[in-house]
Amino acid sequence: MTDGIRRREVALRLFAHELSRSTHKIEPAGEREPAYVLTPTGAKVNRVFSVGVLLDKEEVRPDSNLWRLRVSDPTGVFTAFIGRYQPDALESVIEIEPPELIAIVGKVRVFEGLERNFVRVVPENINVVDRTTRDIWVCETARRTLERLKEFGKTEDSKLAMEIYNTDINEYLGIVKQALAAIVEEQIQEITEPPEEEEEEEFEGFEFEEEEWDLSDLLED
Amino acid sequence: MVKDEKIASLADSIVSRFRNAGVEVERSEIVKRLKLLIHEFKVPEGEAVRTITNWLMKEHEVSREQLVEKESALVKIGDINKAGEWVSLKARVVQLWDATSPNVSQVGLIGDETGIVKFVIWVKAGKGEVEEGKSYLFKNVVTDSFGGRLQVNVNRFSEIVEIDEEIQLPPKEIEVVGALVAIQQNSALIQRCSECRRVMTKGICPVHGKVKGYDDLRIKGVLDDGASIYEIILNQDNIKELTGIGLDEAVKIAHETLDRNAVLSELKKALLGRYLKVDGTKGERFLLVKHVEFIREADAKELLEELQEELQ
Repeated sequence: MTDGIRRREVALRLFAHELSRSTHKIEPAGEREPAYVLTPTGAKVNRVFSVGVLLDKEEVRPDSNLWRLRVSDPTGVFTAFIGRYQPDALESVIEIEPPELIAIVGKVRVFEGLERNFVRVVPENINVVDRTTRDIWVCETARRTLERLKEFGKTEDSKLAMEIYNTDINEYLGIVKQALAAIVEEQIQEITEPPEEEEEEEFEGFEFEEEEWDLSDLLED
Repeated sequence: MVKDEKIASLADSIVSRFRNAGVEVERSEIVKRLKLLIHEFKVPEGEAVRTITNWLMKEHEVSREQLVEKESALVKIGDINKAGEWVSLKARVVQLWDATSPNVSQVGLIGDETGIVKFVIWVKAGKGEVEEGKSYLFKNVVTDSFGGRLQVNVNRFSEIVEIDEEIQLPPKEIEVVGALVAIQQNSALIQRCSECRRVMTKGICPVHGKVKGYDDLRIKGVLDDGASIYEIILNQDNIKELTGIGLDEAVKIAHETLDRNAVLSELKKALLGRYLKVDGTKGERFLLVKHVEFIREADAKELLEELQEELQ
């Protein structure tokens, strides 16, 4: 920024349905500028705050200290990766046994696969939370999503999103309603069946080396 | 009534301009002429003031230079209390708005540590543009009242000089609801220097070096509402109210575990990712929390009902 102090990025609220479909990288405007990912409703996201159920956690290789998490909200699932550069999240995740309701703050990263891009959350902080927190998060995320839908087609970012994702506004309106209905019925706590598996199959063939990650900007915070 | 107040304020402004130049002028005569021009002949206020000023300058043999040369007194924004005064201000541009009139070059807010006031730079003033966040000396600007609120006008006799000085803004009382997304370093059980209260690291005060310190409990954290972030500071009372862990309890945890960081872990578990409602004083950077509470189930229900209604 103008004064040389970089402002902390706001953590956006996105439902997993939208987050997991956000695969378009926006290259940083300069060397010291943050990287963003464009979402289908036209948000430019660098950091997210999400509350959902930790479905499972798995160490990528034994003793690698590299953990893969799958997190679900009422609309879908997203994947998070924790490595040694996220000591706080690492410390927390070791103590958490799925399924458990958690809050995650993290950076959104898109990794290029052979056939398609993958979106991953790299958590900075993870903590166990209660249902009230989850309910508030769902409401807040519904509110923010509706705000983006209202602006859709009006902002440059959302025009680009339309071009890239061919976004169907009604689909996302449906997602908002679905999420709200879920907390009304208080039904999602017990999810044990992962709602979406398709992406994971391709993922198996994708070897993750810590070196492949661009984590440099995480260290600057 | 309102009309008469306007006339009075314009007259005051003219009188004080001449007084600044060391000339006493007849106020009642000015009021009479203003009424005539504005009420009777419907001359625009600015033109009426200009006409009368020109007439007075001739009458009293005052040159334009004399009128403006004398620099208006440097005042604080908090001291501005009436319209029609010539003043100088050192202030920071807080916000620029879109000019709604073609006569206005820039409009927005400027502030110093005593207050914030609206400012208008008229196109006719022919001044360079000011930038948001920068500080300036606004010389010879006129206070004015518009829509019942005071503002300052930059006219062609004014001068705007950028200054290399970080003008502080007044603290603001605000209420924020957001998720606590980070707890920063030097949080939880800390030691402060007994001489200056600064936070010590590893028993060393950044100013006084190795001195005796005392324990304190505080959290520097980031509250995020999805649109903005707020760096908040929770003191030991705030923390106790939220978590039940006060300074005594924190010291006890540290003793029992032989680890001061154990307190930080406890507090992180209790607070990270949770929604808080805080009110406090927002300074330059930090929001000093006066009162804090968790968002309750009832609040969540309310949010939900609002949204459902909207989506009907």
